[in-house]
Amino acid sequence: MTRLLEVKDLAISFKTYGGEVQAIRGVNFHLNKGETLAIVGESGSGKSVTSQAIMKLIPMPPGYFKRGQILFDGRDIVPMSEKEMQTIRGKDIGMIFQDPMTSLNPTMRVGKQITEVLFKHEKISSEAAKKRAIELLDLVGIPMPEKRIGQFPHEFSGGMRQRVVIAMALAANPKLLIADEPTTALDVTIQAQILELMKDLQKKIDTSIIFITHDLGVVANVADRVAVMYAGQVVESGTVDEIFYDPRHPYTWGLLASMPSLDSTDQEKLTAIPGTPPDLTNPPKGDAFALRSSYAMKIDFEQEPPMYKVSDTHFVKSWLLHPDAPKVEPPEAVKAKIRQLPNTYQHPVLMKEGEKND
Amino acid sequence: MTEKLLEIKHLKQHFFTQKGTVKAVDDLSFDIYKGETLGLVGESGCGKSTTGRSIIRLYEATGGEVLFNGENVHGKKSRKKLLEFNRKMQMIFQDPYASLNPRMTVADIIAEGIDIHRLAKTKKERMQRVHELLETVGLNKEHANRYPHEFSGGQRQRIGIARALAVDPEFIIADEPISALDVSIQAQVVNLMKELQKEKGLTYLFIAHDLSMVKYISDRIGVMYFGKLVELAPADELYENPLHPYTKSLLSAIPLPDPDYERNRTRKKYDPSIHQLQDGEKMEFREVKPGHFVMCTEDEFKTYL
Repeated sequence: MTRLLEVKDLAISFKTYGGEVQAIRGVNFHLNKGETLAIVGESGSGKSVTSQAIMKLIPMPPGYFKRGQILFDGRDIVPMSEKEMQTIRGKDIGMIFQDPMTSLNPTMRVGKQITEVLFKHEKISSEAAKKRAIELLDLVGIPMPEKRIGQFPHEFSGGMRQRVVIAMALAANPKLLIADEPTTALDVTIQAQILELMKDLQKKIDTSIIFITHDLGVVANVADRVAVMYAGQVVESGTVDEIFYDPRHPYTWGLLASMPSLDSTDQEKLTAIPGTPPDLTNPPKGDAFALRSSYAMKIDFEQEPPMYKVSDTHFVKSWLLHPDAPKVEPPEAVKAKIRQLPNTYQHPVLMKEGEKND
Repeated sequence: MTEKLLEIKHLKQHFFTQKGTVKAVDDLSFDIYKGETLGLVGESGCGKSTTGRSIIRLYEATGGEVLFNGENVHGKKSRKKLLEFNRKMQMIFQDPYASLNPRMTVADIIAEGIDIHRLAKTKKERMQRVHELLETVGLNKEHANRYPHEFSGGQRQRIGIARALAVDPEFIIADEPISALDVSIQAQVVNLMKELQKEKGLTYLFIAHDLSMVKYISDRIGVMYFGKLVELAPADELYENPLHPYTKSLLSAIPLPDPDYERNRTRKKYDPSIHQLQDGEKMEFREVKPGHFVMCTEDEFKTYL
C-alpha cells in the first residue's frame, strides 16, 4: 500500500503566559491511500492540534513546531512557507470542521463559497465553475442544486450545511480529507446520513480520510484503523478490530467501558474514568495516564513507557505489556468483547528507538 | 405502579412568528411517576427541550395543563404559590459554560436558590449548606470561593447539579446534561445523577439525543417527533420491541462501538406517508401493551396487538 501521509515524532507547543503548553508530544502515525484513520481522545488530548498541524492552521506564534516531520506525498510540510502551503491547502488536503453553523460564511451565497475554492486552485471559467458547484452539491445529496447554489447558509438545515461544507472540501478533489468531529453537532439520524455519504464518496473518489471524533460508535462505523490519543501522545493504535476486540491500553479500556451498551439490561454503574486529563503545561512524569488509572504501577510514575508491538499493525504504549508486568484483567464490559485475533504475536515485542510504525 | 408526580395533559406550546404558527409541542399527554427517570428523545427541533421548559414554566403554555402533585403549574398564581413550585422543580441545563454566571462565585451560584427561598437563617448556615452540596456532587469546599472559569466542563456540570439540589427539589428536568461533555466525563456525571436519585428519591425528566445513555439512565422513554410523542414505553421494551416506524429508524441510526455490528447495520428510513389514514381519521396515542403506547392509526393498532 502506498503511504499518503506520515507523521514522525511530531511535537507542537504553545507559548502562553502560564508557560509552555506541550499540546502534542511526539506523535507518530501514518495513513495509506484510500484508507480512513480515526483519531480518538478527550478534549485536550491533542487530536485537533494534530489535524490542524497537517493543514498548518496552527497560529504561529503562540504555537511552534518543536520537532518532527509531516510527510505528505513524500514531502515534509513542516518547513514549507505559507505560500507553498496555500497551493496544498484546499487542493490536496481538504478539511471539514465540526460546526457547520460557523464554518460557512453567512454573507456569501453557497455557490460562491464552493466556486471560490475552484478559482483559487484551477484555471476555470465562471460558467464551468458554476456547473461544477452544482455537480458537487448533487454529489453530496442536496436536492435541487441549481436553486440551492443561489441561497445563503441560513436557508439550509444543519445536516444540509454540513453537506455544503463537505462539497467545499471535495471541490478540488483532495487526496486527503481531514474531518474534525464532522457529526458531533448533528442528530443521530443526520449523523448516519453524513457518515454514509462520506463512505460512499470515499469509494467514488478514493481519498484518504482522517476522522477525528470522540464517539466510539462512529469510529467503529467509519474507521479502517484507529489511533487513541491521550495527553498529546498516541497511546494505542491498530486496526479497528484490534482496538475494539483486543484493546491493550488501560485508557482505551476506560473509554470503551464508560459507554453504556444498548444490549446490556443490567443496571450496574458505568465504569467512569476518574479525574480529568492532565495539564500539559506541566505534563506528568512517566505515564501521563497513571494518575487516573487503577492499573498504574510504580514505574508508571517514574518512567515513560515505550511502544510495544502486539501485531504488525497494533501498537501500545504501556508498561503493562512488559514481560515482568503483572497480568491484569480489563474491565468486565471490555472483557466481554475480547477475542483472539489471528495476527497477534505470541508475546508483545518492544519497539526499538526510531523503528517505524508499519 | 407508584403514584404520579406529574401529569401532563394535552400540553400545547405554540410560538407565533411572522411566518405563522410553530407548533413546537402539540397536544402532549403523559405522566411521570414518583422516583422514576423518564427519558425524552428525538431529533433537534422535535420539541423535547420546549416540553421540558414548558413543564417548568419557563414558557407559558399555549394550552393544556401540567399537574404537579395534582396542582396546575400554569395559570395565575400568588407569589407564595409560585415560589413553592419553583422550589420543588429544578432544572439542569445543557451547556455548563453558558448556564453559570461568570461573575458570581460558586458559593453564590449555589446559594442563590437558598437565599431566594430563605432556607438558611444565618450566613454560617448558608455556607455550611454550600459546602455540603459541593461534597455531595464530588467537589470540595475549597471550590466555593472560585469562579466558574476555573473549572472544567464536567466540574461545571457538577456545580449546576449542586445548584439544582440546593433547594431540595422533588423533580429535576435535565436538558441534555451530558451532551457537552467528554465521553469519560459523561459517565461520571451520569453515575452521580443516579446516586443522587437513589439517595434523595428524586424524579428526573432526562432530555437527550444520545440514545445509549438515555437507555442506561431511564426507566421509561418517550420518543418525540415534530412536537408529538410517537411512542412511550419502558426502556428495555422500547429497545427490544420498537413499534413506531420513527422509533425504529432512530434506533437503527445509532452507531455502536462494535465494528462487526457496524459492518452489518442497515439504516431504516422513516417516511411519514406510510401511515394510511382513513377519511377523517386521526392518529391517536394508543396503549398496545400495558405501559407501551404508540401513536398509530386504527389499522396499525390492530397489527401491533
